[in-house]
Amino acid sequence: MAAEAAFDFREDERAPVLALRGDWTVDTIARLEDDLLALSPRLAAGAAVDVSQLGRFDVAGAYLVDRTFRDSPAGAQTRIAIRGQHVNAMRLLQAARKAYAPPAEPPPRLTGLVGLFDAVGRIVADIGEEIIDTLGLFGETLIVLGRLVINPRRIRWTSIVAVMESAGLNALPIVTLLSFFIGMVVAYLGARILHDFGATVFTVDLVAFSVLREFGVLITAILLAGRTDSSFTAEIGAMKMRQEIDAMRVIGIDPMDALVAPRVIAMVLMTPILTFAAMMTGIFGGMLVCWAELGISPAMFFGRISEVVPAQHFWVGFSKAPAFAVVLAVIGCKQGLSVGGDVGSLGKRVTTSVVQAIFMVILMDALFALWFLEMDW
Amino acid sequence: MSQEIAIRVRGLVTRFGRQTVHDGLDLDVLRGEILGVVGPSGCGKSVLLREIVDLQPVTAGEITFPYFEEHNIEPRRGVMFQDGALFSNLTVLENVEAPLREHTGLSPKLRAEIAGLKLSMAGLDPSAYDKKPAQISGGMRKRAAVARAIALDPELLFLDEPTAGLDPISAAKFDEMTRDLARSLGLTVFLVTHDLDTLHAICDRVAVIYGGKIAAIGAIPEVEAHATGWVKEYFSGPRGRAAGRGAAER
Repeated sequence: MAAEAAFDFREDERAPVLALRGDWTVDTIARLEDDLLALSPRLAAGAAVDVSQLGRFDVAGAYLVDRTFRDSPAGAQTRIAIRGQHVNAMRLLQAARKAYAPPAEPPPRLTGLVGLFDAVGRIVADIGEEIIDTLGLFGETLIVLGRLVINPRRIRWTSIVAVMESAGLNALPIVTLLSFFIGMVVAYLGARILHDFGATVFTVDLVAFSVLREFGVLITAILLAGRTDSSFTAEIGAMKMRQEIDAMRVIGIDPMDALVAPRVIAMVLMTPILTFAAMMTGIFGGMLVCWAELGISPAMFFGRISEVVPAQHFWVGFSKAPAFAVVLAVIGCKQGLSVGGDVGSLGKRVTTSVVQAIFMVILMDALFALWFLEMDW
Repeated sequence: MSQEIAIRVRGLVTRFGRQTVHDGLDLDVLRGEILGVVGPSGCGKSVLLREIVDLQPVTAGEITFPYFEEHNIEPRRGVMFQDGALFSNLTVLENVEAPLREHTGLSPKLRAEIAGLKLSMAGLDPSAYDKKPAQISGGMRKRAAVARAIALDPELLFLDEPTAGLDPISAAKFDEMTRDLARSLGLTVFLVTHDLDTLHAICDRVAVIYGGKIAAIGAIPEVEAHATGWVKEYFSGPRGRAAGRGAAER
């Protein structure tokens, strides 16, 4: 069992002596720190340490003794005078003294207004760099896709199908379920508001318009941003960290061909399918609410849709799907390829990837809305 | 070095599915010695290390620490993993502070100073303390990993391939550092290696694992003298001879 660390201080006829008692190890020395700090100035030149009563001793204990002497008037002595016998005290005290290195000066930190400007400037520069890099990868992706169109034998169908399954097919249940709920929510809203005008039948129009034009594709894209885009970043980022991407380059496999292109192609193929499924279940959800709350039968519901909702609304929503797909895939891959050597950067890149993807999806959706409005579609 | 036994392994059997790695392995590690453990790739050197530090259960047999049990001390074990295994989101200094923070009540200042001392003992320059593991070289990472392994002043130090991937000069310096640390801190070192130079330079004894058992154990000249089969090939192959000559010249 560890004996408690303690010390006595006495002034001999010749010099002050610090007598150590008990075990001085990393577990026991914490309490002594302040007392020793207070004692330090009293260790005049020629001070010695008495180790005859000392139990176990380790580097941490030796360091504390060494520090006490180093800061004291006796600190000029190159080695501490030792009294008494101990198995390893002499050796450890010497090792601690030898290895002591004065701490490095911390780099000056900018504070106040200058620090604020510095931080803001860095963020702006980072954003600028990020935009240029992402656009760069987007361009590179277009070139690679162009090359694949010219030379279709280089298309990696196995990877494409694998991504289509993991990123597309496996997302189908969650996308359709959420879209179903959104359809219901929109129908409830419509039923509530339009009831006041006695125009509840327009709930059908509301559901069809909103789900076809916006919600089907938007829900799909946002879910894919959270689910698929993040996994792209994590997969490629982990490969980057383990130098697998470097290995590919050395072997002569272009990561753009092998990693980025299959993901972009698979997303462009799957997102419209998911969007279509989301639209259908969204409308189905709306229909159930209309039926249960407003007494509009399914036959009436679909009859009204085919009467008043032209197919162009479907195409407006549907045409956004491939565009979102490309953006999501490119952002996911770009962030993955930007991962550095440490785990922290992987986490940061995955976060950035999802935030950027959702931001871009909503921004693009707003631009599309503006464009379609102006075009009167 | 004493004749007290720090680690005793008796009748150790390790199986992964149908594959038997250790088949009744017996080993004694003496207190205060540097024991080099060698053997062909896949013979279970690292597995043995992991079993002694409790990272992996044994199929059968027992691992005890007689000296420490006799003196009623909990044997503290410090491990340096092959690739360092430093926490990549912490700086080098914080990595060494981590075990101190977890197990002691030292003040932050003293803790940082002791961590710095350990890094300096491992031969790292103070300018590297505030860097992340990804920002320093492989050799420096290994040194930082050793500093973390000795942070709590362990009685037993386990090194898994400490010099793998280092240039010969860095490797020699690393060996020197290991020996100095072991001597000045009175450590018992269990060193898994493929590096014949390391064996010759710093190991008091060598244990050769072959066929699931200790095929030979003892000081290098002793092992060499009675070597047969794989052990003989190992020490008298061109690399073994070169390392032996190098050690003799020193």
